[in-house]
Amino acid sequence: MKINFTINGNHICLDIDPMRRLIDVIRNDLGFTGTKEGCGEGECGACTILLDGKPVTSCILNVIHADGKEILTAEGIAQKPIGKLLIDCFDETNAVQCGFCFPGFLVVSYYYLISDGEPSLKKIKSALSGNICRCTGYKKIFESVMLACERKPRMNTNEHE
Amino acid sequence: MKFYKPTSIPDLFRISEEIEGKKYFLAGGTDINVQIKNGIIKDEPVIFINHLNELKGIKESEDIILIGTLTTYKEIIESDLLRKVLPFFQNSLKSFASPILQTMATIGGNIANGSPTADVTPLLLVLDAKLKLFSKSRIREVKLSEFFTGYKEFILKANEIIGAILIPKNAETGFDTFFEKVGSRKSLTIAKLEIAGLKRLKNNKIEEIKIAAGALNEYPRRLHKLEEFLTGKDIDRIDFSQVEEILNREITPISDLRSDKEYRLQVSFNLIQSFILN
Repeated sequence: MKINFTINGNHICLDIDPMRRLIDVIRNDLGFTGTKEGCGEGECGACTILLDGKPVTSCILNVIHADGKEILTAEGIAQKPIGKLLIDCFDETNAVQCGFCFPGFLVVSYYYLISDGEPSLKKIKSALSGNICRCTGYKKIFESVMLACERKPRMNTNEHE
Repeated sequence: MKFYKPTSIPDLFRISEEIEGKKYFLAGGTDINVQIKNGIIKDEPVIFINHLNELKGIKESEDIILIGTLTTYKEIIESDLLRKVLPFFQNSLKSFASPILQTMATIGGNIANGSPTADVTPLLLVLDAKLKLFSKSRIREVKLSEFFTGYKEFILKANEIIGAILIPKNAETGFDTFFEKVGSRKSLTIAKLEIAGLKRLKNNKIEEIKIAAGALNEYPRRLHKLEEFLTGKDIDRIDFSQVEEILNREITPISDLRSDKEYRLQVSFNLIQSFILN
């Protein structure tokens, strides 16, 4: 079956089994290996991508779910000004330990910054509650997102996207 | 695995009737893909329905809220209409799964998956929700309380789907509301047990009470015997040892990896007691 979508700005047309897991297509067929597989059941958030701008776990989606839609992975977000800001903040606060969960946290933090962005610890915790870090470094992760929220207003607004 | 993508609802039923035997309807994918991974679903045909916009969205009529089966939890949690009309229902769902899963999971899929721990079902039960069931040539309405017949079993016929969930607009009006989901953590947790309740007092007496239990029987259900016992009672003169006795006959919790039977019995009683007294 023919499936069309855009991934990190590239238009893709595949003739593919529509039930293939989206994560396998993103990683193995298209080479965007920033998206990680943790639990494989949608509970750890490591494989989170943005699908039409909303965070979803790609391990429990089929490639048919992406048909006609726009995908943004950690690689795509890393090229955006807010993505760069987040990476700098994670770096400064030493929030990344083993790094496996980081792409998922980056995607969800990016979504939080563009959809809300209020520097509220309570809101950040709730927004990131679908991502699990088994190094349990949550405190520094929350700090880095908080820092990014505080710095974001100083960015030129048309740089956001 | 055979795959079908219908172009419309009539096309969906045409395809469905052509396939003999077991088949799965794929909506958000959050349950089906876990079952495929674990080998519970093997080679059965799959009919993709998540793109059928006619089955999405929240609408109101004079006295009913209609939630399309493919409406996601995120849409329910963010709905301005529900914030105005059914705020207890909406607020209680904020603890559902995780913000990421809320974006993907659909309300109809959650009910049709049939899990005894489905978060939404006890809430819908105390709100006297009905289901609108669609098939090729007819639409019928059934009470949610009469939908389940056993563990992951219900009255859906072959080639029939849950089309929408119907909730009376005044379902919460004038009631004290209660919802507790007990789990190991706040987010991403499957309930050890759930209690939902609505009560209305007059002169310190219980005029009307509705209590539903999740994860405490083979499917979520209303505790009718307990409701009958409590109706008309003065809340300062309730014999809670009798409440416990009736409750213990009406729920049949099991011990499993999430919790054990004794804990579930004790905490259910504690929650119901605090719901009645507060």
